[in-house]
Amino acid sequence: MSRAWKSPVTAREADPSASQQALPFLEPAPLVKPLAPTRVPRLWLCIWLPGLPLEACRRSGGATAIVEEQQGIHRVLLADAKARAAGIMAGQSANAALALLPTLELEERSRPREQQALEALAGWLERFSSFVCIAGHDMLLLELAGSVRLFGGLRELREKISKGLRQQGFAALMAIAPTPLGATWLARAGRRVCIRDEQNLGKALRDLPLASLDWPQGLRESLGGMGVTTVGDCLRLPREGFVRRFGAEHMLMLDRALGYLPDPRHSWRAPERFCADYEMTEEQSDRELLLNICGELLCSHEKFLQARQLGTQRLCFSFFHLKGPATELRLGCARADRSAERWLALLRIRFEQLVLSEPVIAVRLRSGVTQALQAESVRLQFHDAGGGQRRRYSVAQLAERLVARIGDQAVHSTSMVAEHRPHYAWRAQSLLSDWTSTTLSEVGRHLRRPLWMLPEPALLPADSGYPLHQGCRLRLLEGPERLETGWWDEDGISRDYYMAINPAGMRLWIFRNRQRCPAWYLHGYFG
Amino acid sequence: MSSSLDKLLRNPRVWKGRSLLQQKAGLSSGYPELDRHLPGGGWPPEALTEILTEQYGIGELRLLMPALARLSAEEAQPDYSEPGWIAWVAPPFQPYPPALQQCGIDLSRMLIVRPRDASEILWSAEQALSSGTCAAVMFWPETLDDQASRRLQLAAEKGHSWAIAFRPMAARQQPSAAALRLELHADGQGTRVHILKSRGGRPTVINNLL
Repeated sequence: MSRAWKSPVTAREADPSASQQALPFLEPAPLVKPLAPTRVPRLWLCIWLPGLPLEACRRSGGATAIVEEQQGIHRVLLADAKARAAGIMAGQSANAALALLPTLELEERSRPREQQALEALAGWLERFSSFVCIAGHDMLLLELAGSVRLFGGLRELREKISKGLRQQGFAALMAIAPTPLGATWLARAGRRVCIRDEQNLGKALRDLPLASLDWPQGLRESLGGMGVTTVGDCLRLPREGFVRRFGAEHMLMLDRALGYLPDPRHSWRAPERFCADYEMTEEQSDRELLLNICGELLCSHEKFLQARQLGTQRLCFSFFHLKGPATELRLGCARADRSAERWLALLRIRFEQLVLSEPVIAVRLRSGVTQALQAESVRLQFHDAGGGQRRRYSVAQLAERLVARIGDQAVHSTSMVAEHRPHYAWRAQSLLSDWTSTTLSEVGRHLRRPLWMLPEPALLPADSGYPLHQGCRLRLLEGPERLETGWWDEDGISRDYYMAINPAGMRLWIFRNRQRCPAWYLHGYFG
Repeated sequence: MSSSLDKLLRNPRVWKGRSLLQQKAGLSSGYPELDRHLPGGGWPPEALTEILTEQYGIGELRLLMPALARLSAEEAQPDYSEPGWIAWVAPPFQPYPPALQQCGIDLSRMLIVRPRDASEILWSAEQALSSGTCAAVMFWPETLDDQASRRLQLAAEKGHSWAIAFRPMAARQQPSAAALRLELHADGQGTRVHILKSRGGRPTVINNLL
């Protein structure tokens, strides 16, 4: 095959004129690209968790059975060892099981919980392989070939994984094969095998009973009726006939399992954002308890971000009530952070003001956009122990605390803008968004400007052309300073500014409008 | 003779007035006449100062500007702390940046806080004082009772910060834990500073300071 594909290229290369004209990247791609001859051998470990419904639920220690509704009747799906010892079997109705063992704890099967457990396991398995795949509702696949050397051999790696699974309370069936589907079938058949070589795969798969394949029941029955009970029997059938009768899909599955066809899989990716719930068995309104729960969530949030070397600037807590919409609480900080302690301090400030209309049944914590953490420089404390205590926290932290209690708009910094119109010559700057200060260095040092500025100029009453303030005539000390600018937008000004003093000794910054109606306005105090 | 006097002075029941505070140098106000009347030769550092005025615009900010400018020009420390921040809590008007810059204040280290109610003003001031990052915290409280002023005085000591409270003249009769209380009066000629209370100093009146 490889030769056949190469031959047209070599033929063209033999012709010197053709090779000069044709650039290599303009060559038409061959229609069927054969597998590269030096293919990296893959090794797939399949972990099958047949007891996942039971293992995923929190157990108290007594005999437990998982029940599932089947055609209107609750039937036992799985029973633990204690329940099995009492004679409880899968398929029994819940009532029959309770009659056998009155102390039996029955748990409804919860697929979301199983999925959660599976994802938690996938996250844990990422330490062994860069390629983890959730292959079904109770199955995980790992690509191991890349990790064998790091963990000191396949046997050690396999031991580590199975030991870890046991410690987390999962009973798993594992098989290793060069193809993912092959490993899956071997694991489902309960064969604890480790096949490294593709040549040995065919032999191992041929013995598998069709019952260990997740093929539909009807197909298995009709194959069984024909006397076809193993994978090997299937492979002996003529391909065309098999495809015509049972569809191409299952033939392709056999090809994939044996490695004749590629079998690409999707790698599972851990979510980049944190989202966790804490559900309570009953409604709670004890604020201290709720704060402790939030603290617990923040601790797992910190671990989540720590594993990824990330931090976040925003957090959102949702407090769910049985009735009515959830209460939300959003927190923000100036620098990306993950420290549970720091977030909890911010939460405490906001939580004091939070009004919970009803008792809470569940708490959810969601993190905002995550970002790489910036390292913070602190002083090495060798000799000056007193100096270390002096700075308790940075301005960023102070601003966070203030914002947490008062609100985003209430805390700001200022900067100057190069503008002649007095009310445009400065700008409020949020402390949390940007820290870059664009302060202009030397702007109009010679100009007299008041320290206090009124938000809006206030109209002054006038007495025969002279401005009045608090009922008294003002004395003009300095001026006028004419500002006539801004004609390019709608807010152009034409004013004569004066510094004035009233009999009480207040120094005022006033102006007379030159444009429409010549009235006096107060614009600031000289502080 | 002197040994028996030393013994007497070491007695904790003897109150020593201004000598106790002389070791702490004050923060020069930039007005030599005022410095002369203040113990330590300037504004009391790490303490609460109260300024009582009836109206704004009579020089209450100009009085502070030289000292604030010096604080704000403080260089960053080798321990990466950011000194020299000046916090304004609940100012009655907008502090105008161009004028502040003319006075020599570093605008990039100004923090303006506008709390919503009286208790938040005191809370914000206390947070800013005890944070240890603000060299000076100016605040305009709606109310300030004896207990609150004591809290702020302690916060200022803890954060090594200078607290300045601006209050109306009506607060004159209320007790206060402030280390220094000033009264500003203005007329057409100039502004008169009346030192009401000064820890380790004496009440005086300074005419035409500004």
